[in-house]
Amino acid sequence: MHKHHSSHRTINGKNFVILPIIFCVLILGICTAVVYPSTYGLIAVSNLFFSGTGETKSSKYENIFVPVAEEEDVYDPDKPQTPRTVPISSIQYPVYGDLFGELIIEDCQIQDNMFFGDGDVQLNNGVGVYSGSFIPGYGRTILVAGHNNTYFNGLKYAKAGQKVKLRTSYGNYTYEITDVQVKLSTDKTAYDLLAEKENLIMYTCYPFDELGLTPYRCFVYAKFVSGPVIDKNS
Amino acid sequence: MSHRSHKRSKKSRFKSLVYIFLSFVLSFVLFLLSVCLVLRLTVFSGDFMKSAMSGTGYYEFVSEEFSDGMKNLGHASGLSDEFVDDFVKKLDFIEIEGEYIDAFYTGESTLVNTTHFKQTMLGALNDYIEENNIDREKASEANLSYLVDKVAELYVAHVSIPFFSVLGNYISKLDTPLRVTEIVLAILALGIAAILYFTNEYKHRRYRYLCYGLIGATLTTAVIPAVVGIMGFVSKANISSRSLYNLFVSYFNSFFNYFWIFAGIWALLSVLSFVMFYTRFKKAVNN
Repeated sequence: MHKHHSSHRTINGKNFVILPIIFCVLILGICTAVVYPSTYGLIAVSNLFFSGTGETKSSKYENIFVPVAEEEDVYDPDKPQTPRTVPISSIQYPVYGDLFGELIIEDCQIQDNMFFGDGDVQLNNGVGVYSGSFIPGYGRTILVAGHNNTYFNGLKYAKAGQKVKLRTSYGNYTYEITDVQVKLSTDKTAYDLLAEKENLIMYTCYPFDELGLTPYRCFVYAKFVSGPVIDKNS
Repeated sequence: MSHRSHKRSKKSRFKSLVYIFLSFVLSFVLFLLSVCLVLRLTVFSGDFMKSAMSGTGYYEFVSEEFSDGMKNLGHASGLSDEFVDDFVKKLDFIEIEGEYIDAFYTGESTLVNTTHFKQTMLGALNDYIEENNIDREKASEANLSYLVDKVAELYVAHVSIPFFSVLGNYISKLDTPLRVTEIVLAILALGIAAILYFTNEYKHRRYRYLCYGLIGATLTTAVIPAVVGIMGFVSKANISSRSLYNLFVSYFNSFFNYFWIFAGIWALLSVLSFVMFYTRFKKAVNN
């Protein structure tokens, strides 16, 4: 009897911890059961959304361009030779935003930094290879964009037969302009990203040296002449 | 144990279970009330958004980013960087964003109005042409108007806040239902507290069950910001714009801070009810 009486005279402290924890788990469980089915898709998307590193767009870029000697892979029409091959494993494939080369058209007074990607930062500092196209030597289409009032202003002088040089860390390339055409920016026939042969397409807004914008673009097409071929299997 | 005392003990245990259940419901109601009040003070408040904007230098960043984008368009359209700088300087982003946010909370259109912007831009372009003696043949109306449209698109992209237009529709529609829910939950919480208080014959028990409910509400309300904080979700947001990233982080940090505030209020009330319980219990034992 005494024992029973004394148990009533002490505070059962456990209840002040265990019961609230049980309440908390139950409430959150009920809320999850109610909310989860209708927000399942949103949760899946939010996992993607919250996978960043906290880094925002910056005007900085990585420079991976270490030019090879100018005389390397130099084009000599009198001495046609088999192009050398470069194993893909030996080159540093650029990531979006990297400065990885140089584009030169002497006849058009163009000598610009060449970036991988054609966003604001790239086009404010040079010309940019569309990241959905390919790098020189890959044997596919290289689509290069630039602004008509800055780095690609010289394209207004582009003519068939002029030489275009692309310098990269793994070799120097030469192309020859074959055609210049003005087309609508929405014209999908202006370029073929699935082409199986190496070709260079440069484009910029049109017309040149005027105030205002138009939906027209000036496309300059060039064929591959010389330069190392990237061996994709090694 | 006699049959009578056994029956009394069974009745007392049942009563105790009912009170524990009521404490649980009180926890739940207080948690839901916290969620509703946090929403009222944050998502449903235009001032909250504006204060997050001014607190993170949002207007300066937006102005800078818009200027960069416009300069980029300028490089494709013959506009000088100086023109862009002068033009952007004249835009009052505090006022522009203020009008945009207010439109959401008054249930008006959630689209950014570009009419005034386009007129201002066209006016500035004509002044630029005259000041720089640019040949009108090299600045056709059609090309200028196309440029203005493209800059206006850029302007809309910078002034508007992603997903806010979707949220805006719910804000105006859910304002009254949220208010009603808050009142109902507050009445319910007071009702349950009153039942716990007035139907218990022993004074210390009144506070004990209230205390259970309040501690439960404290824990539940604190769990959400604690989990979000530990996982570091907010700072991991994949947003490339500096202005939007800063706004997002500040907005949601403040949002979750409100949960801490309510958890703090419930914790304070828990301590008070525990103290009351303890003093009453001691008194009862001494008597």
